[in-house]
Amino acid sequence: MKTAIVLVLACVGLGFSLSGAVGILRMPDLYCRIQCSSKTITMGALPALIALVVGEGVLSSYSSRALLTAFVLLLLNPAASHALARAAYKTGVPMWNGAVRDEAAEARERRDRERRADQDENQNQDQEED
Amino acid sequence: MHTVYGALALAEIAIGALVVLRLALGPTVADRIVALNTVCTQAALSVFFYAAYTDRSIYLDVAIWFASFSYLGAIVFARYLERELL
Repeated sequence: MKTAIVLVLACVGLGFSLSGAVGILRMPDLYCRIQCSSKTITMGALPALIALVVGEGVLSSYSSRALLTAFVLLLLNPAASHALARAAYKTGVPMWNGAVRDEAAEARERRDRERRADQDENQNQDQEED
Repeated sequence: MHTVYGALALAEIAIGALVVLRLALGPTVADRIVALNTVCTQAALSVFFYAAYTDRSIYLDVAIWFASFSYLGAIVFARYLERELL
């Protein structure tokens, strides 16, 4: 029974890890690859670690380390992915040709337009006062 | 049970080897960082299962080190990229 649970969890983990690895190899641009990589961690590494916990028993030295690692991965992986994607976007890593929209660029343009309109308005007011 | 752990360690190493291809190919620095991060996580998992396979719990500390410091590395690299120091 225990072996069956370990095998199922390990197969789930290995399947997701494999699909994530194929995604990292085959995806067209960096942003898709980051998404694949973070899926590899949350659905690939955590079931494998839980398989280790189930297989060795909750009170063993393996399970405490495995749970600690699972917690650290769950905490740090989204933060690292976010920081990396943000840095890549700021340094101008190109998007895939088929990418549909870039909401950050749209928001920046909207902000610039509003700022320019404000400046024009202020200048007009100054001229009227003169 | 021990054979299962050995097979799992080998499988994680094989998956990591797939990602090493992206580490070698990756057109930008950020691509390589993503690949390196994934390889490190796979390496940590395989060390975990190897420790269970050989019944030596001293290897577990190596696995924890691998898993946590690869993220530290990714965050530091991202910071360098953002400040345009790399």
